[in-house]
Amino acid sequence: MALRVLALAAYLAIGLALSVSVSEYTLRLLNLATISAVAVIGLNFAFGYAGLISLGHAAFMGLGAYILAILTTQAGWSPWLATLPAILGTGLAAVVIGVPLLRLKGHYLALATLGLNVSFGIVAANWIELTGGTNGIAKIPGLSLFGHAIEGERPFLWLSLAVVAVLAVLASFIQRSRYGRAMMAVRDDETAASMTGINVTATKVSAFALSAIYAAIAGCLFATHVHFISPDDFNFAHSITFLSMLIVGGEGTIAGAIIGAALLTFLPEWLRVLGESYLAFFGLMMLAILIFMPTGIVGLLSRFRRSAKREAPPAPASSGEGART
Amino acid sequence: MLRIEDLTVAYGDIVALHGVSLEVAAGETVALIGANGAGKTTLLQTVSGLNKLRSGRMEFGGASLAPLSSADRVRAGIAQAPEGRRIFPGLSVEENLVVATSSWRRLGKSYADDLAQVFDLFPRLKERRRQLGWSLSGGEQQMLAIGRALMSRPKLLLLDEPSLGLAPRLAEEVYDRVGRIRETGLTILVVEQNTVLALAVANRGYVLETGRVVLAGSADELRRSERVREAYLGR
Repeated sequence: MALRVLALAAYLAIGLALSVSVSEYTLRLLNLATISAVAVIGLNFAFGYAGLISLGHAAFMGLGAYILAILTTQAGWSPWLATLPAILGTGLAAVVIGVPLLRLKGHYLALATLGLNVSFGIVAANWIELTGGTNGIAKIPGLSLFGHAIEGERPFLWLSLAVVAVLAVLASFIQRSRYGRAMMAVRDDETAASMTGINVTATKVSAFALSAIYAAIAGCLFATHVHFISPDDFNFAHSITFLSMLIVGGEGTIAGAIIGAALLTFLPEWLRVLGESYLAFFGLMMLAILIFMPTGIVGLLSRFRRSAKREAPPAPASSGEGART
Repeated sequence: MLRIEDLTVAYGDIVALHGVSLEVAAGETVALIGANGAGKTTLLQTVSGLNKLRSGRMEFGGASLAPLSSADRVRAGIAQAPEGRRIFPGLSVEENLVVATSSWRRLGKSYADDLAQVFDLFPRLKERRRQLGWSLSGGEQQMLAIGRALMSRPKLLLLDEPSLGLAPRLAEEVYDRVGRIRETGLTILVVEQNTVLALAVANRGYVLETGRVVLAGSADELRRSERVREAYLGR
């Protein structure tokens, strides 16, 4: 518990310090990182807790963004109001899609969700009356708070930092609720889960829907931040990036989702000197992480923490807290 | 309480159970003994809804089990500590126990008493409540599997080879606890290769050989039977 509060405080302190000290360009990257963090915290429900491999996460982010964009630009809704149908509609879509799709497992589920993401792109690019096709939707209005428009990178960062904090705390509560535990039980052993009275299908579908709802919130943030969306913003490459962020940070951990999202947003910038060969570097890095630190950065940190207090009774397992802050 | 009639179960062409009938009355402890591959685990898995039956009937509390999913059967009151324990490796001991309350838990219902009872039965689990499942020893995992089954507030407890892979002293300890659970009045069906331990705790027993019930009787009768002595007790 104390560790969680500490992590939250550290996150807010670092975020606020950065928000007043860095350049406009870095602020923009931070905004993209926080938006990705929302999506990746969501993906963690499906992949990290319930063990459902999803390569279609960007489609749900896109669905949320498109619903908000269409309602605000074509129906004249206020952006705040439009977030509601964007989030609920995406969650509902995930339930409808999840019921048949989540009968699949492992590689089959990965391929099916990938297909879902590709289909979403095709629909978004071709339903021109509604989505503007490949030209996308421009002039999406920004959010405002108490009569002040949240314009510019710095004010938006304050908003998105707060959104990430609230959603991370919420995710942490869900994780430790019986719903979160049921998801992990299903991940660990589906048969044993059904033998302990857990409704496996309902648990999987709700984890999938929850992850889609977080993705939709990320999509709403993205649309109101950039003011312009097109099908390319939500293609399957983004889904793979989200999954990479979660694995690099540490799957099954909320802190890992945030750290991974931040790291993989900034890494391409830091390594810009590599040019085209960045992809090769990225591939090798992912390989190395999967082999040498399969529990990601957070897993590595909690291993240090454990070896630092070796005198304590030997706990061969992770103490649970460190691994899942 | 549990009535199985003429049950036949097959995996593809391989018939694992040939027309097995057995009955467990409320409050009694019944042992199902037999060698490896006799079909004991298949029978328990079928009761829990993991195998399709080719023919036959299963009734629990007078109602057919056929329409119920595995999770529904837990809700109806059948809990199993399965073969190989199958505890959740990524959950802590306490989470492993609490997750099994989802069949009956509604808002405002507390599991604190259930947890206290399990910890009272297995104090070692209390010591290790924060440890992750995978880090437990075999004996502790078996205790956790039984505790987890109890957390779902069952009317019928199914135990699949609780002594498997345990040192003799630990197996005896586990069976000592099964005896204590029996004294609370819970109905138990235990499947076991270790005939001595199983018949010591049971009122009645069935002997299963290559998918057929070949012998049935009280625990005393089975212990005295020539067939059981030769085949399973080694005397």
